Amino acid sequence: MKDILRILIAPLTWLAAFSAIYGLHGVLCASGISGQTLGISWVRLILMGAYILVILGQIALVAVLYHPKFASRSSFVRFVSHATGWVGLVAAIWSLAPVVMTSHCG
Amino acid sequence: MKALERHRKLTTIWASEPGFRGWFSTVNHTDLGRMFLTTAFFFFIVGGLLAMLIRAQLATPHSAFAGAEIYNQIFTMHGTIMMFLFAIPTFEGLAIYLLPKILGSRDLAFPRLTAYGYWCYVFGGSMLLVAMVLGIAPEGGWFMYPPLSGPIHSPGINTDFWLIGITFVEISAIAAAVEITVSVLKYRAPGMSLDKMPIFAWYALITALMILTGFPPLILGSVLLELERAFGLPFFQVDLGGDSLLWQHLFWLFGHPEVYIIFLPAAGVISTVLPVMCRTPLLGYGWVVAAAVSLAFLSFGLWVHHMFTTGIPHMGLAFFSAASTLVAVPTGIQIFAWIGTMWKGKPDLRLPMLHILGFFCTFVIGGLTGVMVAVVPFDWQAHDTAFITAHLHYVLFGGFVFPIFAGLYYWLPHFTGRQRFFRLGEFAFALIFVGFHVTFLAMHWVGLLGQRRRIPTYAPEDGWTTINLISSVGSFVLAIGIAMVLLDVILHGLTFYRGPRNPWNAGTLEWAMTTPPPAYNFASLPHVTGREPLHDDPELPARLARGEGYLGTPKHDWRETLTVDIASGRPDMHVIYPGNTRLPIVMSAVTGLFFLSLLLKFYWTVPVAVAGVICLAWRWVWKQGRKDDLEPMSLGRGLKVANAAMSRRSPGWWGTAFLLTANATFFGSLLFGFAFLWTVAPGWPPPAWLAASPFELGAGLAGAVLSSGAMRHTMRTNRKGGKPVLGLILTLAGALAIAFACAALMTRAPAPVEHAYGATLLVLGGYGLFHACLAALMVVFLIARVRGGYTSSGRQAEFSIVTLWVDYAAVIGVLILLVAHASGFSS
Amino acid sequence: MLSGAGVIFALVMVLLVLPYRAQNGPKGETRQIRVWIVGLGLAFPMTVLAALLGYGLFVGEQLLPRDLPDVVRVGAEGRQWAWTFTYEDAPGTTTQDVLHIPAGRPVDVAITTADVIHSFWVPRLAGKLDAVPGRANILRIEADAPGVYQGLSAEFSGAGYDRFTFSVTAHDAAGWQAFLRGDER
Repeated sequence: MKDILRILIAPLTWLAAFSAIYGLHGVLCASGISGQTLGISWVRLILMGAYILVILGQIALVAVLYHPKFASRSSFVRFVSHATGWVGLVAAIWSLAPVVMTSHCG
Repeated sequence: MKALERHRKLTTIWASEPGFRGWFSTVNHTDLGRMFLTTAFFFFIVGGLLAMLIRAQLATPHSAFAGAEIYNQIFTMHGTIMMFLFAIPTFEGLAIYLLPKILGSRDLAFPRLTAYGYWCYVFGGSMLLVAMVLGIAPEGGWFMYPPLSGPIHSPGINTDFWLIGITFVEISAIAAAVEITVSVLKYRAPGMSLDKMPIFAWYALITALMILTGFPPLILGSVLLELERAFGLPFFQVDLGGDSLLWQHLFWLFGHPEVYIIFLPAAGVISTVLPVMCRTPLLGYGWVVAAAVSLAFLSFGLWVHHMFTTGIPHMGLAFFSAASTLVAVPTGIQIFAWIGTMWKGKPDLRLPMLHILGFFCTFVIGGLTGVMVAVVPFDWQAHDTAFITAHLHYVLFGGFVFPIFAGLYYWLPHFTGRQRFFRLGEFAFALIFVGFHVTFLAMHWVGLLGQRRRIPTYAPEDGWTTINLISSVGSFVLAIGIAMVLLDVILHGLTFYRGPRNPWNAGTLEWAMTTPPPAYNFASLPHVTGREPLHDDPELPARLARGEGYLGTPKHDWRETLTVDIASGRPDMHVIYPGNTRLPIVMSAVTGLFFLSLLLKFYWTVPVAVAGVICLAWRWVWKQGRKDDLEPMSLGRGLKVANAAMSRRSPGWWGTAFLLTANATFFGSLLFGFAFLWTVAPGWPPPAWLAASPFELGAGLAGAVLSSGAMRHTMRTNRKGGKPVLGLILTLAGALAIAFACAALMTRAPAPVEHAYGATLLVLGGYGLFHACLAALMVVFLIARVRGGYTSSGRQAEFSIVTLWVDYAAVIGVLILLVAHASGFSS
Repeated sequence: MLSGAGVIFALVMVLLVLPYRAQNGPKGETRQIRVWIVGLGLAFPMTVLAALLGYGLFVGEQLLPRDLPDVVRVGAEGRQWAWTFTYEDAPGTTTQDVLHIPAGRPVDVAITTADVIHSFWVPRLAGKLDAVPGRANILRIEADAPGVYQGLSAEFSGAGYDRFTFSVTAHDAAGWQAFLRGDER
């Protein structure tokens, strides 16, 4: 079961983070927060903070999956868990990129 | 013991009852797999006939073939049947038939559950068919958007048939998914570690896990909508604090993963069949597994791309647009892994390969148009036009029907032990391929010209007449092709032309048995050392038949198999299966009575049905088990393991764990719905909030701590040889306290029919009450088992299963009470 | 986008046919994985999709309603099976199934519904946007020239769905003023 968990954990984390940021975006837009710092609106600043946190979290997961202490004994599971680890990281960067690219509540 | 003598002995132990009586009492996966596939193909024909009616209607402008009311029923039923009654059951049937054989085991984890799932599918599907014959079929589109499907705009019984019938069928999907998950993880041949699993098993495992997490949102949506329709709880009525967008979220939270739930098993078929047709192993096995896992997860992050036109802010759309483009990458990896396999090997053009080539042509086009509609501005134009209809048929027909036909022709010799004599299949393939592309290429075109989906007629001056006629002609060519496949299969079954045992020279274990397969699959279970055991050892079938594997000596008339450790494939438990029984069909009939009573609003029969289900379920679990401890069992080849009843992690525990995973997804979706309504729905805040009740909250929390703690203590006491009854009574008291608190919450929910807030609290409380009562019932059952002598310090499997349910009830009970009271406080 | 899709499709078809013609010698599995899976399966789609996604988001941003000085605001309320249009510049004026707008000026349509979900779609002016109960979704449209543009409701809405259409009349400046004064009705 641990081996299955090693394979699933990174994309599972991405899915949770992705949904959470989508929800956060909805809540922020509904709350009507306005105001700016350095020409960037607070909504976007909060979202960017969350974006960076998510990416750091996924990087940490990749590091853990590569760490010999946590790695599986099976070389196959090691390979697949590394691959899905990278998938989690790339998916986080890619799918949440609109945080810095598009307008937020329009 | 000689091979023939072993065969006779095993056959008497494993065989179903002879003749048609066997259909109703069989729990054998080979029988049920065949029944599943036959029934699913029957529904495919029905759905196909409906498609013919649609094309007949659209062939000419101002068609008077069917009026709008009938036409709406036809296209709704076409989509519903193809999705729920053909595609998903076909996967279930194929997996049920194939998995134990390909994994080197004798049956699936829970044979009676397989049968129960099958009968739920048959009864639920029949309800929809009856509705169609009576002309009261659902008519709101297969997506059932409220308010159109709500009580005000669809007052008839049509929509209820959909909501209740489909929920009934989904029980079968959840049952099959639990079954498949546990079977792939635990019921494999010794030595088959994760990296030696046949690729189809990986795909089946991933698909089953997706069903467990993808279907609950839809089941929740159906329950809420039916509650709104039957009892006026306004979850989707905007003026009463509901929101129709909640349905869209719940529906597509299911609906998009659904597409991949359909595609992944087909990809599993291709990954199995294509390498055999190319006489080489699959290229990049590890990559393909990783791609399939990634695809499964990414597909859960796409649901809003069906809602691009609902007015969600652009950044919200952009997240899902990005994720939708990303999902093409793991698909691409699989496609190129398959093409690379073709380059690596020597591909031929036998019939399964033809269908795989048909898949490539069709699916790649579907994928490319899919990338187009993932781009938001393009979708704003194409959405709800015939372009989308064409796109989704390229994906589903290309990505499911062609691969399934490839699989059908690949495994047909296995189903029957015969060879094809008449060569209709090749001609049929040509007709299907040409007919399909003519039909749906034309539909892309007319969609770009602005023809909307789901319109019953159009005018000559729209300029779509010729294209629609071409499309309709193509669809009839396609239909003739499919009728020829049917004829081919029937002729195959009627001609006694024996085939060789392994006609394709495949390497996987399902070909290591005589065909048609014996009821027990393998006379003895193999020890697996590679991904293609038959190529590693061509003598394997004969050696297994001689009993040189595990469990080669039948004893005590037991249906025996073994389970393995998930990662390493080391044997860890000995399992005795239940025999033939009519319990599953009776229980699904009583379950059907429950749904039918709700449908026809005969509320007085609902408690009767519930009591019936409880009694049958009690009997179901009671029949298993023994009054004496079993010594560790010898499996042969010098190996001894404990019986499953002596284990803390029995198959039942694993099944419960995955069933609770699905259940937790359901609960999570319910909490999501609550949060969504609260933050997004326009009609909030509600007129009155819940008044906090420290007593209710305290009783619930105390009950949760008591039940969970007492159950753990009981387990420890039992293991040490002490008496567990007192601890169980305390657990029961705790569970009843949770039930009381949740029931109190339900009675205090403010005006449930007047605002979605109260309605949601009512449902939350009901969910907690149900699970607390269920846990209490299980504890009572366990007390009866202890007093009946069915447990001991060794036979502890039932304790750990009940612990899971008690813990679950405690956790959700606490969450429900906290959430409800927090909402009251925040006001 | 269509030609790009055509090129990719042709590429896949060629790759499918070639193994039937050529006799490939055995090559190393690692090398094949690098070519097929890492190269064609991973790098190639990621590049294409990144470009496509960037383009899509950019265009999507351009289509968003932005604050401009001369925006005209109108309302559209769908019900089974008719649209009622209202005009901010002419309070009290309503039209059935014909929306009047000025040509050459951006128009914000506030879309909502009185009963079930509908969708407001004028193919030549903009993409579609849904009419959702309890919400007003804003769609920016602009007609370059005066004339009549066909519109459709593009969300299935029951038995009268196929006949549920409307039209948009774009006026020149004088015609728009006349409409607002009520001369045309």
